Amino acid sequence: MTRWLLLFSTALGTIVVGVAVGPSGLDLRSVVGGVLGSAGEPTVTIVRDLRVPRVLLAFLVGGSLGVTGAALQALVRNPLADPYLLGLSGGAGLGAVTAIALGAASPWAVPLAALVGSLGAIALVYRLALIAGAGLDVRVLLLAGVVIGAFAASLMGAIMALVPAPEVRNALLWLLGSFSRASWPAVLLFAVYAAVPLVILYRLARPLDLLTLGEEPAGYLGANVARTRRTLYVMASLLTAVAVALSGIIGFVGLIVPHAARFTWSRLHQTLLPATFLLGGSLMVIADAVARTAFAPLELPVGVVTALIGVPVFVALIRKWAA
Amino acid sequence: MSSRAGTVSLLALLLACGGEQGTVYRVDHAGHPVDVVAPATRIVSLSPSLTELLFAIGAGDRIVGRTRWGALPRAAEAVPSVGDGLSPNLETILAREPDVVVLYHTPTNAATIDRLRAVGVATLSVRMDRLEDVPEAARLLADVLGDLPGADTLADRFEVRLDSLRRRTVPSGSGPSVAILAWDAPPVVIGGGSFLSQLLELAGAHNVFADLDVPSATVSLESIAHRDPDVLLLVGGGEPTVLDRAEWRTVSAVEEGQILSLDGDSYSWPSLRSLDLVEELSGAIRGVRS
Repeated sequence: MTRWLLLFSTALGTIVVGVAVGPSGLDLRSVVGGVLGSAGEPTVTIVRDLRVPRVLLAFLVGGSLGVTGAALQALVRNPLADPYLLGLSGGAGLGAVTAIALGAASPWAVPLAALVGSLGAIALVYRLALIAGAGLDVRVLLLAGVVIGAFAASLMGAIMALVPAPEVRNALLWLLGSFSRASWPAVLLFAVYAAVPLVILYRLARPLDLLTLGEEPAGYLGANVARTRRTLYVMASLLTAVAVALSGIIGFVGLIVPHAARFTWSRLHQTLLPATFLLGGSLMVIADAVARTAFAPLELPVGVVTALIGVPVFVALIRKWAA
Repeated sequence: MSSRAGTVSLLALLLACGGEQGTVYRVDHAGHPVDVVAPATRIVSLSPSLTELLFAIGAGDRIVGRTRWGALPRAAEAVPSVGDGLSPNLETILAREPDVVVLYHTPTNAATIDRLRAVGVATLSVRMDRLEDVPEAARLLADVLGDLPGADTLADRFEVRLDSLRRRTVPSGSGPSVAILAWDAPPVVIGGGSFLSQLLELAGAHNVFADLDVPSATVSLESIAHRDPDVLLLVGGGEPTVLDRAEWRTVSAVEEGQILSLDGDSYSWPSLRSLDLVEELSGAIRGVRS
C-alpha cells in the first residue's frame, strides 16, 4: 500500500514540476495564479492552454508506451522488445514523411498520415505472422515486424532523398519526437482512445504472466495462447500508433521503464502494468520538462532527452541483471 | 580560426606576388587557398544563392551545373542540374568538367570540399548568411572567376543602399515585434543570425528571437507565446495551418489574426534583390497591423 502511495505521489509530483517549469520563466506564484485563473492574461493562457495539456499528454503517452513495452516484452519473450519493434515506427515515419513531402496543408494531416502508416504496417505484420498459423508464431512475428519496418524505412529514405532540403529537415524533426502539438483536444482524443486498449491489456495480465513461462506451460495452465497473442499484438500496436501520431517516435521509455518496474516492483503483470504506466508517464514528463527548459527558448527533441536519461539507466540495469 | 585564416591570407598574398601570370591566389571563407585559372569559364554552383548571385554579376552563361532546387532567376532553369547541394554526387559534378565548384560556406560542406579537392577540382566556399555577405561574395566571385567588371559596381551600390536604409531605420524596439516562423510542429523560428532578421529591422520591425545568433532554431511554443510578438511572419512557402490549431491560439498574434505569409522563393536566401524586399515587408506588416 505504501509502495503504491509512493508511486502515485511520484507521478503527481512530476506532473506538478512539469507544470511549474517552462521556458518563459514564470515564478511559482504566477503558475499557481495561472492554474487558478487569477493571474494576468498571457500567464493564464500559457499555463492552462500550453503547459497543463502538454504535461498531461506527455504523461499519457509515456505511460502508454511503458505498458505497450511491458506487454510486447512478455509477448515475444524478449527483453529488447519495445513498442516500435514490430514495424510501427517505420510505418508511422513513412506516413508522416509522405505527408510532409506532399506539403500537407491541414493541421491534422501529418498525425493522420502517421496513423495510417502505422495501421498499414500493423496490418501487414499481422497478416505475415498469421501465415505460420493462427497462434502468431513469435519468431515469424518478430521477423515480419523487422522486415516491414525496414521496408517502410527505406521507402521513407527514398522520399527524403527526393524532396527539397528544408522538408527533409522538418521530417527529421518530426521523427525525433515532440509534444509541441499538445492541446486540450489532443489530450482528450488520446485519453478517450487509449482507455480501451489500456483496459484490455490490463485484463490480459494473468495470461501475460503465463506467457512469460513459455507457450506450452501457458497452455497447460489454462491460457488461450493464440487468442491472447493476437489481442495483445493488436491492442499494443493500436495504442502505440496513436501515441506516435500525436508525438512522433520517442524511444527508450517503452524499453527501459518495464525493466525498471520489474526490478523495483513486481514481475506479475497485474501490478507491473499499472506501475509501468505511472513510471513511464513520470519519466516522460520529466524528459519533456528538460527538453523545454534546459536550453530555453531552444527546445530539444524529447526523444533525445529520453535516450540521454534512458541509456545510463539501461546500462545500470544490464550490469545489475548480468551480475 | 580567424587568426589562422589571417595567416593563410598573408601567405596567399606572398604567393600571389611570385605567382604565374593569369593565376590568382585567394583564400575562400573556408580558409582554403584557391587556385583558379582566371577567367573560369565552367562553374558548378552547389548553392541556389550563389547561382542567383552569379547570374546577377554576369557570370550566368559560365555556369555548367546547378542544384536541383531553387533555380533562380528563370534563366538558371536552362543550366543542367547536378543534384543536391548538400552531399552531392561527385561523379555528376566531375562529368560537367568544372574549372571551379562554388559552395555555400557551412561546416556541413567540409567533407564535400575535401573530396572535390582530393580529385583535383578547385573549390570556392562563400559565406552567404547575412546581408553584408552579399556584396562581399560578389567581389570574391568576381575576383576569383575573373572578367566580371560589373560586379564591383553592383556590390558598391548594394552597400550604399544598405547604409542609407540603416540610417533611415528607427531605433530597435519602437516598431512592431515579429516572430518569423519557418516550420510549425515543432516550431522553428528564424534567429538573429539570418538576413531575414536584418530585413525585418530595416523594415522598421523587430525580431523577438533576434537574441538567438543562429539563422534558425527549434523553440518551444511557450516561448513564442511568452515573447508575444505583434505579428507572426510565416516563411518557407508553407500553408498557415497554425490558424486552425488549438495550441497555437495561445499566441495572441494568431488569436488576433496578425499573421503574414510570405512567398518562399525571394525570402529563402540573401541576394542583391534582398533590399527590394524591405519596402514590401514594411508595407505588409503595416497592412496586417491596420
